[in-house]
Amino acid sequence: MTDPQVAVLMLGMFIFVIMLGFPICFTLMGMGVIFGMYAFYDPSYMTSIFDPGVWGRLSFLITSKTFEVMSSDVLTAIPLFLFMGYIVERANIVARLFYSIQIAARVLPGSMAVAALATCALFATATGIIGAVVTLMGLLAFPAMLKARYDTSFAAGVICAGGCLGILIPPSIMLIVYAAASGVSIVQLYAGALFPGFLLAGLYMLYVIGRAWLNPKLAPRIPKEEIEDVSTGQILFLVVTSFVPLAVLIMAVLGAILFGWASPSEAASAGALGGLILAVCYRALTWNRLRESVYLTVRTSAMVCWMFVGSWLFSSVFSVLGGDQLIQDFVIGLNLSPIMFLIIAQIIIFLLGWPLEWSEIIIIFVPIFLPLVKFFEIDPLFFGILVALNLQTSFLTPPMAMAAYYLKGVAPPHVQLMEIFKGVMPFLAMVLIAMVTMYVFPEIALWLPETVYQRQGPGGPA
Amino acid sequence: MHSFLMSIDKLNAWVGKAFAWCVLVMTFGVSYEIIVRKLFNAPTAWAFDISYIMYGALFMMAGAYTLSRNGHVRGDVLYRLWPPRVQALVECVLYFVLFFPGIIALIIVGFNYAHQSWGFNMGTGEVSIQSPAGVPISQFKTLIPVAATLLFLQGIAEVIRCIETMRTGRWPERLHDVEELETMLLHEQQDTEGLSNEMQDVEEWEERQGWNDDDDSSKAQRGSDNGDDRGGSAPR
Repeated sequence: MTDPQVAVLMLGMFIFVIMLGFPICFTLMGMGVIFGMYAFYDPSYMTSIFDPGVWGRLSFLITSKTFEVMSSDVLTAIPLFLFMGYIVERANIVARLFYSIQIAARVLPGSMAVAALATCALFATATGIIGAVVTLMGLLAFPAMLKARYDTSFAAGVICAGGCLGILIPPSIMLIVYAAASGVSIVQLYAGALFPGFLLAGLYMLYVIGRAWLNPKLAPRIPKEEIEDVSTGQILFLVVTSFVPLAVLIMAVLGAILFGWASPSEAASAGALGGLILAVCYRALTWNRLRESVYLTVRTSAMVCWMFVGSWLFSSVFSVLGGDQLIQDFVIGLNLSPIMFLIIAQIIIFLLGWPLEWSEIIIIFVPIFLPLVKFFEIDPLFFGILVALNLQTSFLTPPMAMAAYYLKGVAPPHVQLMEIFKGVMPFLAMVLIAMVTMYVFPEIALWLPETVYQRQGPGGPA
Repeated sequence: MHSFLMSIDKLNAWVGKAFAWCVLVMTFGVSYEIIVRKLFNAPTAWAFDISYIMYGALFMMAGAYTLSRNGHVRGDVLYRLWPPRVQALVECVLYFVLFFPGIIALIIVGFNYAHQSWGFNMGTGEVSIQSPAGVPISQFKTLIPVAATLLFLQGIAEVIRCIETMRTGRWPERLHDVEELETMLLHEQQDTEGLSNEMQDVEEWEERQGWNDDDDSSKAQRGSDNGDDRGGSAPR
């Protein structure tokens, strides 16, 4: 077998082993070491695979990749953003937030759905933890909507889709991971993702209001006599004490990054401090909650960063064996136009989202696409934001539709999983519409990075 | 054997939780840097080093703790359909084929790497060249072999777990620990309703789709899910 064939074997074996359910980071590391020994073995002058020459080159690769992850100034932001998320998640803010937005929006059709969507989007952006957003809202807003005789599917779709926005709208952890995997500047990625994030959130909002307006049976208006008599001053007070602090926190973190006042990890630590202060103000910061947040932060950080250690070792061995080149030659041989490549790549990523979660897809599979992205002269930033939009679906498509399962887990027993899936479908269509819009008008993503940072990318796919 | 397993679990949990507090040091250290730089125009020389050293130490040393809580993400498409005995057998084999070679390599090369680093500057240890404060960095590099050794120990513990499962047919319980909010809320909900409605419905739905017509596998799925949450924690 030639080296590139071995590389393909390596990739195939890797996919097989992760199907068997072994922890992915150790699969990558073990296969990196074993295939690395093969890759560095040169039979022309070495007697065995345990030759010191093999070992020397392999150990240089292992230590340099590990140390690269340990001292990465991009990944430093991950534990800090996670910590901020866990603290905000435990700050007893959701109920207040939902209630205040619902009262403020009560004149709109489907006011509860609008409020649920806005709460999900804001809370998910601040915490970045989809599972927590969906379960909390599933316990809080979902029963409230059912009680107001909202359509079950409609209400379920709003909560699932709204919760997933947290991984797209900056400051999101997914974009940091993409930045570390692709080498695109995190600041420019955030700038690029801002308008597409608003676009998708806006499309969701339009859909919710539009459907509720066209078909009031889905989301009956609250009867006049049940509307609580709340004065404008009281509404204002509620909004100022719940919506405003969280929005200010997010905007301060994002603003500091986008205006270049602070590096992403500095802004993240300021955000974590802000989260702590917020929790103190809501009288929600107990010793126990702080401890829980710290321990959860360390576990999730270790999960993501060890995956990077394994993945960088695996992918360098893969390219030493010539696997990259083989895949590139194969794709070039297909004579695709850039547009076709882009569509095929997005379809593959969409399909990967069925069994896998975003972290595996971005850390392991996106680096395989990146050399091709450069070959087809597509801006890796533009590609990254399409991927980020696309991965919204990885939480919503069965069989691993985590958002739907979380909601089902906390919903009243009579709610069927199929009803939840049915409610999610229109939102999947919105994601598709957003991706097509982005594709037709790449400026949505590229205008801000190009204007503010004079980005000289290869441009969109035009 | 069980007490040996538990003592490894406790050791790694202790180390992981101790290093977890680095995130608080990072938060306050870097926030302090922003304040003195922006307000007093007097940047510190150490804040940059603090941030990446704390970050590196935090995630490296928590690798074993995360493994002991089954926190490293798995692609469990096939895995969750199997009965615990099969899961344990496959996992046990893979520990020997993949985990130990990788981790032993990391211990050895990490040890050489750290050893070399301590030899710099006439045996006083290496100093970071990027740092304005010239912070020593040998300790930081030493974390690689130490973290790998802890992972090696935890690997042994996991293999013992697999063997126990193969003997008894169910996954032994893990030490109680703080869980993700969604996991906690789901468990609370399940406790009140007696049975995992969620998984039942998934099965019903899968049966309707004709994916899961084998009765045994659906029982196994429920068993594995109620038993130990071996499904792996979902990344966000």
